[in-house]
Amino acid sequence: MNSPKLIKYLSSNLKINEEEILLLANDYPIKKVVKDEFLLRANEFSKYTYFIEKGLLRQYSIDSKGKEHTISFAPENWFVSDRESIYFNASSAYYIQALEDSEIVMIDEDFIKNLSIKIPAFTEFNNKLLHNHIRHLQNRIHMLLSSNAEERYLEFVAMYPDILLRVPQTMVASYLGITPESLSRVRKELARKNFRS
Amino acid sequence: MKTRTVELVASPREPHFVGDGFRVHNFIPSSYGMDMQRMSPFLMLDYNSTYAFPPSNKPKGVGVHPHKGFETVTIAYKGKVAHHDSSGGGGVIGEGDIQWMTAAKGILHKEYHDKEWSKTGGDFQMVQLWVNLPAKDKKSDPKYQAIKNEDVPVHTLPEGAGSVEVIAGDYKGTTGAASTFTPVHLFNAKLHKGGTAEFQFPENYNTALLVLEGSIVVNGKEKTPTDHLALMANDGENFNIEATEDALVLVLSGEPINEPIAAQGPFVMNTRAELIEAFNDFNIGKFGYLED
Repeated sequence: MNSPKLIKYLSSNLKINEEEILLLANDYPIKKVVKDEFLLRANEFSKYTYFIEKGLLRQYSIDSKGKEHTISFAPENWFVSDRESIYFNASSAYYIQALEDSEIVMIDEDFIKNLSIKIPAFTEFNNKLLHNHIRHLQNRIHMLLSSNAEERYLEFVAMYPDILLRVPQTMVASYLGITPESLSRVRKELARKNFRS
Repeated sequence: MKTRTVELVASPREPHFVGDGFRVHNFIPSSYGMDMQRMSPFLMLDYNSTYAFPPSNKPKGVGVHPHKGFETVTIAYKGKVAHHDSSGGGGVIGEGDIQWMTAAKGILHKEYHDKEWSKTGGDFQMVQLWVNLPAKDKKSDPKYQAIKNEDVPVHTLPEGAGSVEVIAGDYKGTTGAASTFTPVHLFNAKLHKGGTAEFQFPENYNTALLVLEGSIVVNGKEKTPTDHLALMANDGENFNIEATEDALVLVLSGEPINEPIAAQGPFVMNTRAELIEAFNDFNIGKFGYLED
């Protein structure tokens, strides 16, 4: 596999050398997708977790009125997947689409199983990843229920420092659960407080 | 004096759109080893080769975005670009005009085809060049040099060969219109068929020639056709160009800034930590605000 970022990511987190992971990862070539290309569409079944070597993906849904709701952005070194489809064999409620020309590793269950069997430290690391993911989802639910637009925005830019420069603001607003006008107001107000000419 | 030879002649890469208003071939930093260190102080060269935009009531262009740590130089050859920034500045870059914007400690701006020009559309040809700033100047105040075509000093070449417009630097005693933070020479050489021009820059200055119209031969042997870029080696000081048909050539040469470069998106700093700070400052409004 020619996927330097995933190999490096696993190698540094599992504290084993890159060659060992390379042996397991050989069957997983990098897939190149162009901007706007879909990796998953609603009502399809998904088998893969996507790891982003280069570029940017977005996971979102479209409601009955045609409005988009962004679940997550996935820039370099992130994973994105629809677990309900992969692990519960349900048709997907989501679209996963490239926002930039991207390079993606398509990880399937066999790769995860192989890692668990051959590298004992992986299971513990994977658990930690899962807990971290659930923590993030909890925070996200909590923010959506209890926080104002500015608090949600500040949390967003702390986690995704460069996304604002890579995607249209309407998409950021659809992640935050606010209108694009509210997002503009928040940014204007922050500039009023923080800008020193 | 040693002759500076041609290192390579680069053909234009596949164009891509910047926003919806600029259809550009990138030469620096993405092609043929012309990365930011090799080409320093030039960080980026996007060339919108002549492209006909159809009429549009909604001006095409690039929405609000920041810059920090360097200068952007926009040279309009055909078409007109309107710009606005977060300090309240703005204007129109008309045909033959140059806008030299020092982003330095940070600015927000947007660039669109001029509203009136957009309504009729037409041929559009433009260069955007990014020039790095040394660390000591990266935190200076933003400023503009709006240079009208008629204010660009012109050096007339002997024997009716043509002329050299001196945007910055110095050509045979004619001093350029723009002030720069480090030594940079930027000329438009306009040669008639058969006309020649000679250039001399210190050997270590990174140097390239972008042929916008016509075609040239460098040092009597290296052919460089329209929309191609000749990268000059750093192996001498002098070279000459001859137009094999009426030609317009952008000549750039600059003293390298020998400092580390940490670049991502619209920010060019010296360290990773400064880059992270730049993103954070932008996100929390320290660059100000500009309506889209």
